[in-house]
Order: sequence, then structure tokens, then C-alpha cells
Amino acid sequence: MRSYIQSMMSNLLLDLRLYRRLIAMQLRAQLQYKMNVFIDIATYLSVTGLEFVPVLIYFGSFPSLLGWKVGEVALLFAITSMSFGLAELFGAGIDGFDETIRRGEFDRVLLRPAGALLQVVSSDIRLRRLGRITEGLLIFVLALGLLPGFSWTPLKLLVLPLGIVSGALVFIAILLLGATLCFWTVETTEITNILTYGGRELLSYPLTIYNQGLQRFFLFLVPLAFGTYIPTCYLLGRPLPFGLPGALAFGAPLVALAFALIAGATWRFGVHRYQSTGS
Amino acid sequence: MESMIEAEHLSKTFRVARRRPGLSGALRSVLDPAVRHVEAVQDLSLRVARGEMVGLVGPNGAGKSTTIKMLTGILVPTGGDVHVAGLNPVRQRRELASRIGVVFGQRSQLWWDLPLIDSLRLLRHLYRVQEKRHRENLARLRGMLDLDEFLDTPVRQLSLGQRMRGDLAAALLHDPELLYLDEPTIGLDVVAKARIREFLLAINAEQGVTVLLTTHDMDDVEMLCPRMVIIDHGRKLYDGTVGEIRERFGGERTLIAVLDAAEIAAIARDVQGQPVLGELPEGVRQVQAEAPRIWLSFGRDALPAHELVAWLGARYRLRDVTFQEPEIEDVIRRIYEEGLLLTEAIRSKRV
Repeated sequence: MRSYIQSMMSNLLLDLRLYRRLIAMQLRAQLQYKMNVFIDIATYLSVTGLEFVPVLIYFGSFPSLLGWKVGEVALLFAITSMSFGLAELFGAGIDGFDETIRRGEFDRVLLRPAGALLQVVSSDIRLRRLGRITEGLLIFVLALGLLPGFSWTPLKLLVLPLGIVSGALVFIAILLLGATLCFWTVETTEITNILTYGGRELLSYPLTIYNQGLQRFFLFLVPLAFGTYIPTCYLLGRPLPFGLPGALAFGAPLVALAFALIAGATWRFGVHRYQSTGS
Repeated sequence: MESMIEAEHLSKTFRVARRRPGLSGALRSVLDPAVRHVEAVQDLSLRVARGEMVGLVGPNGAGKSTTIKMLTGILVPTGGDVHVAGLNPVRQRRELASRIGVVFGQRSQLWWDLPLIDSLRLLRHLYRVQEKRHRENLARLRGMLDLDEFLDTPVRQLSLGQRMRGDLAAALLHDPELLYLDEPTIGLDVVAKARIREFLLAINAEQGVTVLLTTHDMDDVEMLCPRMVIIDHGRKLYDGTVGEIRERFGGERTLIAVLDAAEIAAIARDVQGQPVLGELPEGVRQVQAEAPRIWLSFGRDALPAHELVAWLGARYRLRDVTFQEPEIEDVIRRIYEEGLLLTEAIRSKRV
């Protein structure tokens, strides 16, 4: 048992190192065109920045949104942006999986002794997605400026990164579910986009402005709210819908992990399906 | 001899959803898909010994790729039994992957934007090869494939021949026992082709790597593979030597006779003013004439070549005689087009 765990750990370590090396290859390839990357990031920053304009327009006319002040919505917006930005950055390989399948490159993945998912995840990293993360950081600073009474506690400092990383994990798991669909049909990106881009858009605003069905959906079915809304509520000391306890914010990583494991199992099932049907 | 590949009665049937035309058709297809079964591989048995070099030949869509995918564990066979290097390819896919190398002529596994050496270094980690072994293999392959001149060039800037050499090195760095090559010389010029073939012969002879290659280029097969397997319509049609197939299906050989100039003048002429040889032996016909040359075609069973030469020599003054064997390319084409072996395979199955 002990040696089994040891070999598992050493395998995990080797996989992590391989991941780092594969990503380093991608970075080196992209950085061959440095100017290009820089312009891409700047463009993406301004495009994603535009997404924040409706918030400013709204609060130009109304003092609050269901009791949420501009600074509070900005904080939620920033956290959602950073989560989604990380997912876009690190989930690029999964996001582009339909192309991998279409070009027949998944065969090559299966011809190598390294894990298939590891190879797919590390097949791409899109630096321009740093634009969205930058946007998130800028709005985060703005939000703190708009929240004069806000004070940090050690627990709040813990909840913030946990939430962002958990949110990113759920977003990546959604991308993985979308990629898995590619084993059945290649035309799936739109379905995934509804959940990723649509989810980011919806969750940039307080969850309670939506009907209860949609709230339940993002809490219990596709738990994106655990990475965005719930941690934000914890930071702001706001109550959660359905009388859920605020301490749930600390459970975000577990919920995200569970969702990711389900997505992973579905992926495995998809790979088996690919092996029996071809593409 | 120990087997590297053992496949017994391998078959693969694909379910292909047929699309109905129009929007209502598309909707109907979702609810009630019209499924067609395509038998890509049928009852294929193949045994390849360690150290062999076998050419897998067949027209497009014959089932070659499907066969290779089943042998590598990418695809699960619908029926039959397969072992490669003693492993079950599907259940032990990753273990098998570290013991085989695969080169697709049309698809590179190298990192497009980076220097070749970066890809070759990274593969060590993808395959978990010991550092020392990797260093030795890389040094050997660099020498054999002359990689040094373009090791630091981004792959996208390599010529097709250089890229193929890079891909071969990439596939061999982890010391595979078995190398699958899919169209390894496609699109290459004559010199590059010769170089690749030379290399493949060398690794087969020196390292004992078993090679299974699919190709459309019959020169590849003639020069590399003592054994050839022909597949068409998912069935194995032929398994044997290249020479034997020429013997069996070679059809007619050609004799080119160059007659003495004085002799030509005495021979009867056709309407175009070209000489015509009269009263040829049975089974021999004149196919072309361009004084002083005359082309005679004759069946293998009609008469031995030396008798035809003797027959000509007795009647005409010959300056030169040469023979042309049928091109293996033509032989194979005839086999596909006329279904020569297909009917045979079906017949033998019925019996």
C-alpha cells in the first residue's frame, strides 16, 4: 500500500514536470513573436474591459442593484474575470480540443505513453488571455477603491484565492465536458460557450437578480457560483441565497474538485468511445 | 521465430450515421439515425516476426490505417485477437506506446515553431527515457540521419525531406522494437527517398527494429520489404514476396529487339511505314515498332525468353536484345482493378 502511494506520488511529480516542460515549449513558441503577443494581450485587455462598461452605465443611473453597491458588483466582476481568465489561459488546450480531433492529432496523443488528458491540457496556453486577468486585477483595485469601509481579515485573504482557483477549475471542467462531447460530434463549441462565456457574463452580477432555477443551476448543478458569488459574499459579509451558511466559501475547492472529477470520468468514457468508433 | 505482431481474424466494423438532406432530414437523423455498417477490416490475420520488414500495400480506403490503429491500441477491434510485442494493444496502450515508434508521412509530431533539437529533447520526457540512453541515441541518430545541419532550425522552415529525417529520429529516440511507418516517402524527391530507405535498412539490420510500413510507392516495397501484404476492401489478399507476385500476376514481359539496319529494309512495312514481323510464334505479338527497334510482348506461359531470342536469331540479324519486366506498380494496379486476388480470397472463404 505504502509503495503504491509512493509510486503514485512519483508519477504525479513526473507528470507535473512534464506539464511544465510542455507548457514551456508552448511559451517559447509563442514568444518567438514577442510583439505579436504583446499586442494580443493589449487588445484582449481592451475587449474584455468593454464588458465592464454596462456596469458603469447602470450605476450611472441607479444607486444600487438589489442592494449591491457599485464597488460590490465590481468586486464580484473582478473575481469572476480572474477565475475565467485563469481558466482560459490554462484550459486553452482543452478549449481547442475540437481542432485537435479534427486534425487527427488525437491519434498521436494516444500513441504516446504519457496520459492523454495531460497531453491535451498542455498542448496549448494562450498568453493573450493574460489580458482578461489583467482586466480582473484592474477592476479589483478599482473595486477596493470604491469600497471605503472594506477591511481584510486572514480568513478573507484565504477565501479570495481559494475562490478564484476553484472558479477556474469549474470553468476548466466545463471546457473538458465540452471537449468530451467532441468524441460524439465535432460541432460542440457553441454549447460549451453558452456555459463558459454565458456563465462568466451571468455570474459577473449578483446571483440573486436571477430566478431561483438559474440560481440553483449555478449552485448545485454547475457550481460556478462557488468560485465567484459565494467567496464574494464572504468577503462582503453578505448572506447567501437559500439560507446557505457563509462558511460554504471554504468548501469551494472541494465542490470544484468533485465537479472536475465528474468531468474527468466523462472524459475517460469519451476516450473509450473514441477508441471503439474512430473519429 | 518470436512474433512481434500476432493478429488473428481481426475485424473492424464502423457504424456510420447517414445524413439525410435538408433541415427536416437533419432533425429526423437526430431522432432516428440511419446507420450504415462499414466493414473496414474483415477477418485479417497477420503474423510478423521480430526483425522483419513488411510492406502493407493497398489502395486508399483499403483498411491499412484501420489495421495500424488496431495494432497500436488507438482502435478497439470489433472482433479477433491481437498482440503486439506480447501486449494487448488496447488494454496496455500506454505500455505499448513506449515500445513502438510511429511516423506519419503527412503529419509531423514535431513542434512546428521551435528548433528541431527542442522537440527531440522534449521527447525524452514524454517517453521517460533515461538521460544517458537518450544522449547516446540522439548522438547516433544525428550521425545516421545527418541532422546537425538543421538541428537548430525551426521545424516549419525545414524541407520535407529534412522534416521526415527529424520525424524518424523522433520516433526512434526511445529505442522502439517496432516501427510503424505510414507513407514515409510521400512527396519526397528521389535523393531524399533513397536516403530514407537506406536509413530504414540500416536500423533494421543494425538494431533489429521490426518495420511495418504502408505505402503507395512500390519502389519502397521492392527496395525495403522482402515481404508484402496486400489489403483491399478490408481483406488480406496477398501475403508473400514481391517476386512471387510478379511471377503470378506479372502478365506479359516485353522483348525489345534492335535489328540490323540492312535487315530492316527487307522487312514488310505497315501503313505508317514501320516494319512488321510476320508469322510470330503463338502467344507473341508485336506491340510497337520504331525502326530499327521492335517491341514484342509475350506471356510467361507462351514460351521461355531464350526460345524467343533463338527464334528471332534464326530469322533476323539482331544487333541487340533487351527484356522489360512488368512494373510492379502495373501489376498491383491490375490486381486492384481487375480484382484478381479479391475473387480468389472470397472463393477460398466459401470453401
